Parts: sequence; structure tokens; C-alpha cells
Amino acid sequence: MKKKMTMALASAALLVGLASGCGNNDAGGANAGTNTNTGEGAATEAPKKDVTIKIFQFKVEIAEALEKLAAEYEKETGVKVDVETHGGGEDYSALLKAELAAGEEPEIFNSSGWAGFDPYVDRAADLSGEAWAKDLVEASKAQISRDGKLLGMPMNLEAYGFTYNKDLFEQAGISELPKTVDELSAAVEKLKSAGITPFALTSEWWSMGIHTLNMALANHEDPAAFISDVKEGKATLKDDPTMKEWIKLVDIMFANGQANALTTDYNTQVAEFATGKYAIIQHGNWIQGMIDEVDPDLNLGMMPVPLLGDTANVFTGVPNNWIVNSKSDQAEEAKAFLNWMVTSETGKRYISTDFKFVPALTSIEANAEAIGDIAGDFAAFSQEHPDRVLGWHWDHLPDGITQQWGAAMQEYLGGQISADDLLGKLDKAVQDIVKK
Amino acid sequence: MVSGKTIGKPAAKRANWSEWLQQTVFVGPGLIAFIIIVLIPFGMGFYYTFTEWNGLDLGNAKWTGMTNITRILTDDPRFWQAFWFTAKFTLAAVTVTNVLAFLLSLLLTQNLRSKGVLRTIFFLPNVIGGLLLGYIWYFIFVRGFGAIGEATGIGFFKLQWLGTPETAFWGIVIVFVWQTAGYMMIIYIAAIIGVPKDLMEAARIDGANRWQILRSILVPLIMPAITICLFLTTSNAFKMFDLNLSLTGGGPGNSSESIALNIYREALVNNRYGLGTAKAMLFFFCVALITITQVWFTKKREVEA
Repeated sequence: MKKKMTMALASAALLVGLASGCGNNDAGGANAGTNTNTGEGAATEAPKKDVTIKIFQFKVEIAEALEKLAAEYEKETGVKVDVETHGGGEDYSALLKAELAAGEEPEIFNSSGWAGFDPYVDRAADLSGEAWAKDLVEASKAQISRDGKLLGMPMNLEAYGFTYNKDLFEQAGISELPKTVDELSAAVEKLKSAGITPFALTSEWWSMGIHTLNMALANHEDPAAFISDVKEGKATLKDDPTMKEWIKLVDIMFANGQANALTTDYNTQVAEFATGKYAIIQHGNWIQGMIDEVDPDLNLGMMPVPLLGDTANVFTGVPNNWIVNSKSDQAEEAKAFLNWMVTSETGKRYISTDFKFVPALTSIEANAEAIGDIAGDFAAFSQEHPDRVLGWHWDHLPDGITQQWGAAMQEYLGGQISADDLLGKLDKAVQDIVKK
Repeated sequence: MVSGKTIGKPAAKRANWSEWLQQTVFVGPGLIAFIIIVLIPFGMGFYYTFTEWNGLDLGNAKWTGMTNITRILTDDPRFWQAFWFTAKFTLAAVTVTNVLAFLLSLLLTQNLRSKGVLRTIFFLPNVIGGLLLGYIWYFIFVRGFGAIGEATGIGFFKLQWLGTPETAFWGIVIVFVWQTAGYMMIIYIAAIIGVPKDLMEAARIDGANRWQILRSILVPLIMPAITICLFLTTSNAFKMFDLNLSLTGGGPGNSSESIALNIYREALVNNRYGLGTAKAMLFFFCVALITITQVWFTKKREVEA
């Protein structure tokens, strides 16, 4: 009896220990909203070597290079930089919110500007005073500024239009780029009669819901005002003349793509385009890196997208910003890292050469060879026709709308709904999110 | 904790105390974990159901009463589309899974040489995590089937399996069945092995044929297993999320969006945690109602030998 009792007590002690261990952890989890991460908090007093900053980033294309850059930074300063990448096929902003909701506060994360930045304004550290802030390209600032304060570092400039395979165009006998929708249609016919599939399509919601739709949004006189009218219900996409023109363009694309477009994800789409199977792809210079992995000699260019009249456009913007999380433990270290990334020689070299970025800072020179044909064409075009370079406007829309736009586009691509239904669904998606 | 202070005799007191101690030691840790991980979040969720909240900082939650519930019931066709999809999916998945699992278990309780190996093979998919498995099957549907279709010209493989609403539905059903049938098979096998041999033998001597034995002896006697398997598959099919996310992401359009995915997106994509939680609550009560009915219904049919 006595022996049994002792055993029971011993195991009780053991389990109480376990249980209290449990309790502590859970208390940490419950407090997560106010950000107490005991593990990392302890590191503050430790020597500098133990500092770790976590980057929760979305750009798949630079993931590897960024990790190398992080390793270089650790070599130089002893600060460890953890890079976690979620992008491409993943829904980055949902994952980021889940991460934040779980009480993880990464030091640096990405956010788009305008309305897409709304949920994170509380967390963004003021970067107006940073050394690099004065070097930003003027047009890149507004999207990430609030009340005159700069709350993030614009990552880079990107541009898209119709990226096309110059060799295939030549093969089909197209000597001049189409300037109107009708000319585009004629060019597509020429490609087809030469046995070339004109468009590489994808079913990715963001490619259609964001980029394809933006072609129409950006062609409005004042896109921001138009979008706000749509949000307030003063205007509808269904009755908008530009949208009607846009449908014609979409029809040309959707009718002349590969057969299995609805099951083609982004990676497959770009990889197949890179092998020269298709003539045109609706993406921008961000695919250059993936193309180079398959065929660095592919002869590519950026064709402006015709929509209204004969003023074809390309579209440029800041895809994303580095946000320093003021609720994280190492916000100052994070600022130091960003500063190092854009001012040190190593950092600059990575940005221009390894990330293949068109920099958003005038202090960093773009590497013409690294940015490749697509961005090169864009640069030439924007020199020649600065008035025909339009912006990115999807970020004026709150989260959730473009996802539903993408879903509606999938249905249209699959032939399940008519053009009228499509426009109706686009309107409905806006109202569904806007109304409380 | 209650110590037996009202009891006079030291021996009895000690026995009572030891009883409590044992309860605490053995049940306590599990109970604490359950309370912290399940009960408290559930209670919090109940509160969020009546708020408008973006999910990021708790201070921003705003009490809105029944607004979320009314909105779901009167003005959310996407939710009801997801509900309908999930209901259809559950019906198809539960039927196919259990029929297949039962047939497999019948087969693998016969005198087969390879039955050990086969049982392992059929059980194996269950060991792979759902998300990973979803991506593997995504690859099979998109690339594998495509390549086979091109090589052989068989229409079945040339379908765009995840690209149209109908095939996407069956695509998810196929993977779900493939994943869960093995597990249910093990439960059925255990039950079939547990059926007393003498009953079967007696029936055979009395001249019952195979069908009669199956229908009147085997099935009634393994009813507890059927209850469990139906319960597990029903609740799993209703809650299916990972396969949905990895295979179709709800597409094309929203045609294959399950309720779980719809809730996830409402909360984390649309930034409406309150509305999402309200959906989750409704969903919880639905699943509870359906599974309880099912268990009650099949339990009634359980008999003892």
C-alpha cells in the first residue's frame, strides 16, 4: 500500500510538472496578441550573435537569393536572418494573417500598398527617417504612406503587358506589333495559321482577377475615382463602356489559349511558355528568372496591351513593400537589415543582379543584363511613351474582391457563364465585400 | 480539489484521498489540455460570432448582435453553395468509402496468402498527411492523367479532371475515398474477425447461403463497427479542408468550395473573422446534429450475439 502511494505521488509530481509546463506555454499563446514571445524576448539581453530576425516574404522568385543574402548578412554582423517564403501558388496574405493571428510576429513581412495595407497599418514601423527614404522613386511612395509617414520600403518596380516570344512572331510573319484590338486579333490568326498556340493561359485567380482586370481599370480616366464609385455603388462594371471593350480582349485571349488552361498553374504556364510552346503570356518581368532557368536565350519582349483606340499600354507599379513589424521583438534590427540591404555594396549587388529587380531606389542602378529582355523592353517603351505607362490599381480594392474576381474569371474561362454574367459577378463581388 | 475531510477514519480518508489523487493525475492533464485547446477557444468563438472583427487585434472586435447570423441565413449564396457542395460530397464520399471498405474487409478476411501485405497497402494512404496527399494527387490528375491520355487516347484520362465543376467534385471524392477507405477497412476487419465462428458454422449447417449469412448474421453483428465507420467518415467528409485546398482550391469558380474552405476564406481572405466564426458555429451545430442522428439511428440496430 505504502509503496503504491509513493509511486502515485512520484508520478503525480512528474505530471504536475508536465501540466504546468503546458500551462505556461498556453499562457504564452493566449497572450500572443500583446506579443510576448518568451523565447525570443530572452535573446534581447544576450550578445548580438543571438539576435534572429524573421522575414515572412512572398516573392518565390527571389527566395533562394534572399537566403544567400541573409547568410552574407549573418557573416558580416552576426545577426541571423530567417527567411520564410509563401507565394506563387499560395495565398500569401491569408497565410500572413494566420501567422499574425497565431501570435507569431515576424520582424519583416510584405504587404501591398493602398487598401491592401489597411490591416497592417497598426503594425508598420515609421521608416520616414531611414537613410534610404530620400532615394525612393517618387511614384513608389504614395501607396505605402499614411499621414505623410513612410510605413514601408517599396520592394521594386515591376511591369507587365503581353510578354511575347519574338522568334515565334517572326516565324508567323508578324513584323509590326498590334496597336489595336483588331490588329491583335489578326496577329493571333497569323500565329494560329503558322501552327503556333497564341496564348499561354493560366487558371490562377491572381493572374486573371488582378492583372487581367487591371487592364480595364487602368484605362479609365481616373481609375481611383472609378473604383471608389464602384465601391459606393455609383457606377457598375456591367454598364461601363471600357469593360465592354475589355471583354473583347479577354475573348481573344481565352479563345486562343491552350486546351487545358483551367488546370494550368502559374509554374506550369511559365515553364511551358519558356520552352517556346506559346507566343504570348500575360505576365511581366517577374517571370524572367523562371524563364532563364529553362532557356536563358529565349528571345522575349514586352508588347503593350491594346484596348482603347490605338494607344496600347504597359502597366507598372510597386508589387510589394517590406514592412517592419513594430510589434516584433527586433524591430530596430530589422530596420538595420533593410538599410544594409539597400545601401551596402553587397545588398545593392543582390538587388540588381541576383533578385533581378528594377530598383525602386534611384541610388541603386538597374543591371541591364540581369533584368533581362522583358524589363529592358519596358524601360525602352516607357522612355518613348511615358504617357502610355499605366498604373496598378487593384490595391484600391479591399481584400477578398480580387479573389472572387479571379473565381468569376475561371468560370468565364471554363465557358460556364456568359460575358454579361461575368460583369454582373464582378460587381457582386465588390458589393459583397464592401457592405458590412 | 476535495480532500476527504468529512470522513472520520484515517484509512477511509486516505483511500478517498488517493482516489482523488489518481483521478487528478490521470485525467487532469488531458482535461487541462482539452479545456485550453478546445473549450476556451470554442467559448471565444461563440463570442466572436456576434461581433465584427478583422481577426488581427482583439480590441477591434465590435459587438453587432445577430447581424452575422441574419446575413448568413438571408444573404450569402456562396455559403449555401458551399453547404450544398459539402452535403453532396459527404453523401458520395461516405457511401463509396464504406462500401469499398466493407468489400475490401470481406476480401481480406478470406484465406488469402497475401492478405497481410494487401491490408498494409490499402491502409498506407491514411498515413500520408492530407495536404501532401492532395498535392500528389493534384500532380497525378493534372500531369499524370494528361500524359496517359496523350499516350493512349483514352477519354477518361483526357478529361480536365480538376478543371470542370463535375469532374472536380469526383476528383475530390476519389482522393478522399482512396485516403480513408483503408482505415475503415481495418475497423471492419477487426469487427469481422470478432464475430463468433460457431454462429457462422451453425448458420452454414442450417443451410444458409453466403448472402443470407452476410445479411442476417454478419452485418447485424458488426453493426457497432458500421456505426463507428459511418460516424468517422461523415464527420471527416463534412470537415474536409486540406484535400479541397490542395486539389482545387475551391475552383473552378467557387464550384468545389467546401464549407470549411469557405469559412477559412471568409475569415482570413475577406478579413471578416466575426462572420467566419458565425459560419463555423452554424456549421458545428449542423455537423453535430447530423452525426448524432446517424449514431442514434445505427446504434438502434446494434445487436448482441
